[in-house]
Amino acid sequence: MLFLQALVSGILSGGVYALAGIGMSLVFGVMNISNFAHGDLMMLGMYLAYFAFTLLHIDPYLALLLIIPVSFLFGFILEKVFIHRVIDHPHQNQILLTIGLGLIMSNTALLAFTSDPKILTTTYSSSAINTASGLSISVPLLLSFVITSVITAVLYLFLAKSSTGMALRATSQNREAAQLMGINVAKMSAIAFGIGTALAATAGALIAPTYYIHPLAGHSFLLKSFTICVLGGLGSVVGAGVGGIIIGVVESMAATYISTDWKDVVVFVLFLTVLLFRPQGLFGKKGGQ
Amino acid sequence: MKQALIIALFAAFTALLPLFIGEENPYIIGIMISVLMMAALSSAWNIIGGFAGQFSFGHAAYFGAGAYTTLILIYSFELNPLIGAAAGMVVAALIALITGSIVFGLRGHYFALASIAVAEIIRLSVLNFEFTGGAQGILLANVTLWGLDLNSKTPFYYGMLLLLVVTLTVTEYLRKSKTGYYLQAIREDQDAASSLGINLALYKNRALLISALLTSVAGSLYALYIRFIDTSAVLDLRLSIEIILTAIIGGVGTLWGPVLGALLLVPLAEALRSNMIGDALVKLGLVSETSSVGIFLNDNLAHAHVLVYGIITVLCILYLPKGILGLFRRVK
Repeated sequence: MLFLQALVSGILSGGVYALAGIGMSLVFGVMNISNFAHGDLMMLGMYLAYFAFTLLHIDPYLALLLIIPVSFLFGFILEKVFIHRVIDHPHQNQILLTIGLGLIMSNTALLAFTSDPKILTTTYSSSAINTASGLSISVPLLLSFVITSVITAVLYLFLAKSSTGMALRATSQNREAAQLMGINVAKMSAIAFGIGTALAATAGALIAPTYYIHPLAGHSFLLKSFTICVLGGLGSVVGAGVGGIIIGVVESMAATYISTDWKDVVVFVLFLTVLLFRPQGLFGKKGGQ
Repeated sequence: MKQALIIALFAAFTALLPLFIGEENPYIIGIMISVLMMAALSSAWNIIGGFAGQFSFGHAAYFGAGAYTTLILIYSFELNPLIGAAAGMVVAALIALITGSIVFGLRGHYFALASIAVAEIIRLSVLNFEFTGGAQGILLANVTLWGLDLNSKTPFYYGMLLLLVVTLTVTEYLRKSKTGYYLQAIREDQDAASSLGINLALYKNRALLISALLTSVAGSLYALYIRFIDTSAVLDLRLSIEIILTAIIGGVGTLWGPVLGALLLVPLAEALRSNMIGDALVKLGLVSETSSVGIFLNDNLAHAHVLVYGIITVLCILYLPKGILGLFRRVK
């Protein structure tokens, strides 16, 4: 029973991790950049949901209709102004630039919103569905899992069927060849970063009702997103989706059977184990790069 | 030879400085110790990050290994601080070898990511264990070494200076040695270096080991100097980033870049932290102390130093990726 409960909770919270991981993986695939500001973009999503709720009285899940376009635009501009300038630089410069941007975002939030954690309490924040078999399923987690699944499905169809989606995948496979085929790779990069940002902000907004909202809240998610990407194979969108669920379950199991204090350690140990034995990830194609 | 002479002159000059500043200015001496420490840390990082081109984002782990091992051994077993520092080096070496053996077979983003993961595992473990003092950290009333009073700042000034001079000398020696040439070859083109028969993992591990040992000594000195440590002071990712940033601003892969970076960044951070800039604006009459802007500056500028670090990082990567020293050398 305990096992089943941990499994269900893990899968449900893994859905949100998957969303954050897919965003990072898409950016990595198309642009070959490790985005260290990803966690801070998630934090911005949390605050957007919080302010939409307290100032505009919009339900955080409904607010996604607002948050997604706003954060896409923010990411698009961020790429056009900063990121595209380091796209041919050594990867450590890219990492440092995104770290710098992340520091600016988190510390501006610290100045603007102070370090006091905010709590977004909806009417259903702590409600749960109890099944006949004794399972307790958190309503906000279930809702966010459903929304995550819908967004992931839409994104999958977009990448698979639309011409922009195909151009994104082509850029991801081979940047030079895509450019030779007449694809505007600079535009694809900005779109990819915009989608990545929108997914991070969505993940942030989805966890806002169940987490403390804090300017530094993104940091632990940054490392988790990396773990998910490496687990799924850097750049693989499907891999990141599955990786997110795996991380959610591992974390939930670790919290149940070891202790809550050690669950992050377990996730990072898993990360190093994957690097050691299967660096291309569970679904990766390219090895060792 | 020329560089060795400059290092000796630098050491002599810096060693004489406290005579002019004097014991009555402990605040200034304190800032100078911080500058020397950051210069030593950043120079040590430069060996693996600058010369071998392997950006470690987890150097706080080695610093924390030195700091925690030293204080735990003194606190729990009343051992001599020197034994503590030596044990700290052993712990740092183990962490370096484990990290290196996991990731040096891989490239690019992986080393950066894995170095953070290792540092985070260590930070969270220290936070969760009891013998490390957990979230409270470790506080030490006083430390003595051979009857020497370690409560004054002067021994730490010279300790940090000695460490910096050793680090610079090691860097200069390495740069001119076979290992140094191999490291630079690895940085410029791994495939070419590998095809010429250079054992990539061996030389990267060697550079990381040297860098980690020097960093752990800085951690031990810091712990004995402040006599209070917790994870946010010595194991935080922020420290790792500050170390890198110092090297980047001065000039990565140059001998004096990290020193220059520390000379610029540490006083700047201190000025922001102690709100000197806000006070100066008030004194100059630009901002009234009682106006809303003045109150805002007074309340918030002290917290803004990390924000300033972020802005400097972005500007530096976009406009000055080779650092300040990079401006002066066109041909590399």
